[in-house]
Amino acid sequence: MKFLHTADWQIGMRAAHVGAAGPRVREERLIAARRVIDAARSAGAEFVVVCGDTFEDNGVDRVLVQKVADILDASGRPVYVTPGNHDPLMPGSVWEHPAWRSSDNLHVLREETPIKVSDGTLFPCPAREQHSGKDPTAWIPAGDSRGIRVGLAHGTVEGVYQEEPDYPIPRNAAVRAGLDYLAIGHWHSTATYPATDGTVRMAYSGTHETTKFGERDSGNALIVEIAGAGAAPVITPVRTGGLTWSVIEEELRQPGDLARLRQRAEALENPSATLLDLRVAGLLSAQDRDELARIEEILASRFLFGRIDSARLRPSPSDDSWIAGLPAGALREAAANLRELADPAYAGQRPEGASPEVACRALLELYALASESAA
Amino acid sequence: MILRSIAVQGWRCFANPVSVGPFTDGLNVLHAPNATGKSTLFEALLRGLLDGYRVTGRDVETLRPWGRELAPTVTVEFSHGGADYRMTKRFLDHPAAELERGENGSFVRMAEGEAADEKIRGILTRNPPGRGLSRPENWGLAQVLWAPQGDLALGKLSGDLVADIRTALGVQVSGPGSGPLEERIETAYLRFFTAGGQYRRGKDAPAVVRLRESLQAALEAQRAAGEQQRAFEEAARRVEDLRARRAQARRDAEALTKSLRDARARVEAYRELISNKAQRVERVKAAEAQHRELKQRIDAIKTAAKELGDVRLDLTQLRSELPSWVREVEQREKEAARTQTALEDVRKTRDANEATRQRAELAGRYLDELRRASALGDRLRRIAEASEALVQHKLERSRLVAPDAKTLRAIRKAMKDRDDARMRLDAALITLEIVPQKAGAVIVVSGEQPGEFSLSAGIPAQVKGSPEVVVDLPGIARLRARGPTGSIAEIRAEREKAAQKLKALTEAFGSADLEILDALQDKATELDQRVAAAQTESDTLLAGETVEQIETERATLAAAISRTIADYPDWRDAPPDAAGLKAAAEASKRAFLAALDTAEAARDAAQAALNDASQQRGTVEVRIEETDRRERSLAATLAELTNDGKSEGDRGSEMRRVALAWEAARAGLEEIEAKLAEFGDDPGATATTLEKQLQAADDTATKALEQEKREEGRLSHVSAQGPYSALARAEEEVARLNREITGEELQMAAIRLLRTTVEQSRNAALAAIAAPVEAAATRTLQRIAGNRLGRVQLGEAFEPTQMTPGIADAPVSIESMSGGEREQIYLATRLALADVLAKGERQLVVLDDVLVATDSGRFARVMRILEEAAQRLQLLILTCHPERYRGLEGARFFDLEVILRDSAAA
Repeated sequence: MKFLHTADWQIGMRAAHVGAAGPRVREERLIAARRVIDAARSAGAEFVVVCGDTFEDNGVDRVLVQKVADILDASGRPVYVTPGNHDPLMPGSVWEHPAWRSSDNLHVLREETPIKVSDGTLFPCPAREQHSGKDPTAWIPAGDSRGIRVGLAHGTVEGVYQEEPDYPIPRNAAVRAGLDYLAIGHWHSTATYPATDGTVRMAYSGTHETTKFGERDSGNALIVEIAGAGAAPVITPVRTGGLTWSVIEEELRQPGDLARLRQRAEALENPSATLLDLRVAGLLSAQDRDELARIEEILASRFLFGRIDSARLRPSPSDDSWIAGLPAGALREAAANLRELADPAYAGQRPEGASPEVACRALLELYALASESAA
Repeated sequence: MILRSIAVQGWRCFANPVSVGPFTDGLNVLHAPNATGKSTLFEALLRGLLDGYRVTGRDVETLRPWGRELAPTVTVEFSHGGADYRMTKRFLDHPAAELERGENGSFVRMAEGEAADEKIRGILTRNPPGRGLSRPENWGLAQVLWAPQGDLALGKLSGDLVADIRTALGVQVSGPGSGPLEERIETAYLRFFTAGGQYRRGKDAPAVVRLRESLQAALEAQRAAGEQQRAFEEAARRVEDLRARRAQARRDAEALTKSLRDARARVEAYRELISNKAQRVERVKAAEAQHRELKQRIDAIKTAAKELGDVRLDLTQLRSELPSWVREVEQREKEAARTQTALEDVRKTRDANEATRQRAELAGRYLDELRRASALGDRLRRIAEASEALVQHKLERSRLVAPDAKTLRAIRKAMKDRDDARMRLDAALITLEIVPQKAGAVIVVSGEQPGEFSLSAGIPAQVKGSPEVVVDLPGIARLRARGPTGSIAEIRAEREKAAQKLKALTEAFGSADLEILDALQDKATELDQRVAAAQTESDTLLAGETVEQIETERATLAAAISRTIADYPDWRDAPPDAAGLKAAAEASKRAFLAALDTAEAARDAAQAALNDASQQRGTVEVRIEETDRRERSLAATLAELTNDGKSEGDRGSEMRRVALAWEAARAGLEEIEAKLAEFGDDPGATATTLEKQLQAADDTATKALEQEKREEGRLSHVSAQGPYSALARAEEEVARLNREITGEELQMAAIRLLRTTVEQSRNAALAAIAAPVEAAATRTLQRIAGNRLGRVQLGEAFEPTQMTPGIADAPVSIESMSGGEREQIYLATRLALADVLAKGERQLVVLDDVLVATDSGRFARVMRILEEAAQRLQLLILTCHPERYRGLEGARFFDLEVILRDSAAA
């Protein structure tokens, strides 16, 4: 038995954190879905299992439902879909759309009922509500069928911290239910869970396309091959994500650091498909002040999405050469005052609104205006 | 610069050439009446130095004298930077400008036309006018140093002048090159804010305003999308609920249908049982009735036979008892008679018993009478004794003559009156005292006691008399002593009267001795007390009675005693034992009463027994009669009951047969009732209820289905709009706008902070700069007006803005000062600034008709200050009141009228 395991497509998800890139990020999730199907075809998978959260919400545009159904149907092989906690099986859900009845390949698994497949049985665990403290795999009878036994579930494997149980799945769920493989969704990073004998019979495929910054090892699908009942599954990750979500954190310590950071950003491949989150902190020297604006320009113009967080930047205390170059009198005095205010450790009284960040920015503005004035 | 002279022609009122000067380096006073041309000369000075010579326009045209075609021309000679200059300008017609410099005692042309203009402006101001007439801000130092007519007030000084002042004060508020940068900061600020700090509006509004508007719209869209999403979720939940409700209703209906089916089957069974039960009940009733009838007959026969036997037995018994009861009654009658007799016997002892009691009482009374008679005799004896003592005491008292207390008081008073009269008489008499040295005799010829009396040696003797005392000392002399005459006779009469009264009072007592009289009175008092005591005792013994009454009582008692003794003569010698007699009488009485009670109780018991026996006998007799009747009745009844022709055995067999039939019928009924009891309530009602419940469940399911369809329709409609996708888009837009707004706000806050910080730094520096000028102006003002006005505070451009009087809590604006105070404040400030500006070079200060509101006292102080200022400055004062400045030392006065006249003459 060979099949493709995927989950958490989160089609239609909101992407408020990436601003105007949101529509593109959503579109990329559909493109990545096609890559998943391509991967299934390429790998010769007999069928595809989608373990929940195909959609971000049951309230997504219906045209997205049709698109996803079309993509899945295009695989030319059976596709078994289980509803997840984001798209639970309930009135008005995406699963009521007629698209799911338009093809014999599409199987929305609505009941906890074993499904016969070529040389085995699928044990679906559909979600019917957004939150549940119940083990979705609990219903699976242990070893009452012949052939390869594959479970399809959506939930949280024991060991992942949760404030409240959220579709909890025991760490030994596959072994306990006598499953050859338990395909699970819900968490977006690819993860496998070896049994005590080292055999991996339970895995998160992870989302097929990364959803946010800092999401570890996502953007994959799994090709699962099981030689026969009781045989160890052979699990092969396949890259399906098309976007790169990069986070670069940099502590500026000396002049030129910001320029080097810019060069590093510029060196990133395929910026038009990259979302870049630059987080800079430390000391900003006078000569690097122009770099900030330049980096912002580069992020805006080349990258799918880019942002630079400079709130934790402070003017370098040893770099007051430009202040000495200011006209003597009020301006130079003001610059010195702003330098003090830009220091978070400043113990004097702060004027209203004069946070270190604002003071730092005011210094940058003064630097820029002074530079323009000198030019 | 130092003004040397000024000459004008064709200039307003100066059609002809007029020259004023040369001025001294110190004080100069140019005076003339109003409308003579003083201020015109000041105007000519300004225009000659600062206006472009080619300037045209209505204002310049007015310079031309009225009705004349003359070109206004002015020539100013001045010194600056150690050189002498002469500037000549001609306006309007053939305008020209020429600047000459003094070289080797004469002026040599230095520049002309615009070059001359620029040169002179370069000397005087860094902010020349572009075209047209110069305005105060183009005057350079003259803004401070030259005060136009009647206007000492300082306006806002131009930037170059302020900078000059700052430079002169040696503090850099804004260093070289700061202007453009500050302008950039201001421009950046004004890109976002108005000068007042508000956001710009309209088309110039900063991006953040537009972004916020967009954000509001996006938030509204987000809210609407959120509402739509919630509506979707709620609709989904409602559909789910309705489905659950319908499913439940369906399950309920199915369960109810089954229950109803069962219930209906039970109803059928129940009804059949009810029908069977009715039949069974009828059977039971019939069997029961037959059984009851037969049993009643058998029981009636048995009862009648038994009762008949019993009655006959009773009758025999009663008849056998009756003689006994007759005998019993007879015995009881005898017993009753006997007890009645015994009772009568006891009653007969009542009189003897009473006699005993009376004797005991009489004995007691007799003894009492004896005791009372004895007591009365004793009492009469004591009364007699008391009466005798009373008579004795009264007799003794009557024999004693003694004064009572009143008399004694009268005697004491009479004695006092007599002694007083005697003393007054002694005092009124002439006393002649003779102290003999040897024994002899004297003869009182006239005196109280005429006659001779002996003298003993050494013993004084007195002779008293009135109106004179005459004593013969035989053989020696006759002594005559006289004194003042008085009423000696009256005193003597009083003494005699008192002595007579005393005698009358005491004569009865035989003594006039007071002690004796007191003793008599004490004795009388004692006797009175004894009489009273005897009287009291007598009264006590009588106790309100008379002796006669007591004796009568004793006689009565004696008579009673005599009667008792007559009855009981032996009591005369031996008085009876009253107590013993009384005890015996009481014992006798108790014995009598006990015997009486016993006899009465016996009589009553015997009578009651007799009554009972009589009643029983009567009862037995009645019962015999009744039983006899009953026996006949029962015999008749039994005969009637047994006339069916059956034997007792026949009746027993029939009875067992009927009982078995009845038992069988009852068992069958109980079986049916047990089955019915198993149903509990009427299954028909249950079935009816179930039918209703089924109907309700069907209705619920139908309604739930209808609602479900409706809600599904709504849900389908809402979900078709993709509410989540709309919400996601709205949230993304809100997030994007928030991010942009945050960025914009950061930049705006930074620009605002930058501007504010620069402004604060500048203000701090300016405050430091202005301080010495403020101090100098304050010192000058205090010299003029005293300390009342307080400290002068200058604005950013060194203009006086407010005062801080010591007595006020807060600064006071210049506008709130009086006119005189204001011009003094401005003068002090101008002089302070002039001192600052004159540090490099002596400068001309022009005061055109100022200090018009200053009173004479302060004006005198201003004069001294001007004299001091003239040591550092050139002062040109234009005035129409030269007399006010006559006191200025070293001042040069220029009379414009004289100058004009001389010019005209020349």
